[in-house]
Amino acid sequence: MLNYIWAGLIISSLLFAIAYDIRDISGDKYRNGQPLPVELAFPEGFDPAARRVPVEIRIASDQYASFYRTEQAPAPSYPGYLLQTKEGTQLRFAAGSKLPEPLATIGKVSRSRDEELQGLLTGFTPAAGTAGVVFEPVRFVKLNAIASAAIDFAKTGAEIALSLVGVLSLFLGLLKIAEDSGIVFALVKLVRPILRPLFPEVPADHPALGMIALNLTATLFGLGNAATPFGIKAMEELQKLNPSEDTATNSMVMLMAINTAGIQLVPPVLLLALMGTQINTLIFPILITSVLGLIVAIVAARLLGRLPGYRASDPNRKA
Amino acid sequence: METARNAISLLSYFVLPLMLVGFPLYGLYKRVPVYESFVEGAKEGFQVAVRIIPYLVAILFAIAMFRASGAMEALTRVLDPVLGLIGFPAELLPMAILRSLSGSGSAALVADMINQYGEDSIFVKMASVMYGSSETTFYVIAVYFGAVSIRKTRHAVPAGLIADAAAMLIAVWTVRLLFQG
Repeated sequence: MLNYIWAGLIISSLLFAIAYDIRDISGDKYRNGQPLPVELAFPEGFDPAARRVPVEIRIASDQYASFYRTEQAPAPSYPGYLLQTKEGTQLRFAAGSKLPEPLATIGKVSRSRDEELQGLLTGFTPAAGTAGVVFEPVRFVKLNAIASAAIDFAKTGAEIALSLVGVLSLFLGLLKIAEDSGIVFALVKLVRPILRPLFPEVPADHPALGMIALNLTATLFGLGNAATPFGIKAMEELQKLNPSEDTATNSMVMLMAINTAGIQLVPPVLLLALMGTQINTLIFPILITSVLGLIVAIVAARLLGRLPGYRASDPNRKA
Repeated sequence: METARNAISLLSYFVLPLMLVGFPLYGLYKRVPVYESFVEGAKEGFQVAVRIIPYLVAILFAIAMFRASGAMEALTRVLDPVLGLIGFPAELLPMAILRSLSGSGSAALVADMINQYGEDSIFVKMASVMYGSSETTFYVIAVYFGAVSIRKTRHAVPAGLIADAAAMLIAVWTVRLLFQG
């Protein structure tokens, strides 16, 4: 299943990216090669001999709208400057200008080394201050976007994993003390009646049950930092019982299912930050939803495990 | 409701310190060499983190590509008429799809919706309940199975997704029931 979903995500992102890019090209979304009409004002006066002249760029909203066939409107004016180069006069918008679409997208391609949107000035009449700007052609925006997203998030994945090192070490260390001092064993006895029915493959006094209990407690109290190491440790204990090296047992799927339901008594910190005091009215619905979600997760994990296909791949099946 | 919430959040302040101090303290009482035990256990931290990397990279980059391609908008448009039939608001479809895929992405979406509809809107309430009542399934799968090098996840993905779909529907219904009379 994961193989198909994973391949599906990658293949469909390629197909959608190509489809969107072809639509943009055939609809001439970026008006490649055509001059955008602008008005230029010179706060310090216009000197045709100067290499660099500061300028105030004004784009009329109605002209902008009809040129790019968009409803987005530009700001009344943008600071920028004219620069004489070998290719002609370049018009550059100051870096950090809040540009409307599609100019913002064009600015990611047609830009100077200092990340300013730049285009070639054409048909400039200094007396009237009117001109046109031709930007570098923009093509295959989405294709570029998926490629750079893949690179960025490969980095993010490694960063997330490595950022866990400290917290993982802390809690795995604590857990080792808990194991050696008998806390885990005491916990196992305590939670056995509740957890045994969910994890029938686990022997009655196995430490895995204690780790699962700690994982669920941490989740319940919204201690994400602790819940992950405890869950990982529980997985490791379950793996010790697993005759197979690379195939999940029913117990592992059950633990995963319970964790994805993410039941907690305390609302997530992030949501608290976003919603402020509004959160008080939402605690109750969140709790109901996650309890019902948890029940569905448990039932789904249990019933799916009984399907013939998944039964055949069960590492614990009796030959 | 308010007092219950305060009691629980008060309690949750104590759980972590209790574990941090209680475990070593109890260990001392049981004559366990606590420092040695701790270091012994903590040694594993780095290996576990490194073991997760390939799984996390595989999942995250595929999801990032999917989101960058604009496939989400297309999917939203296709699914919209189907969802109308079961009374699922189209405004919440991006959230429902994204919730299983990306934790930070769905949090950003809640923030977006607050900007767009305002805190009091029923859509924002539904999105918040969706966010708060569920975990990011694909992240959990990558981290938990990655830590023990399990590649064949069997029914973990379908079970997780069924539970997510149910939670999304239940979120809409409970909020409607509680806030729309």
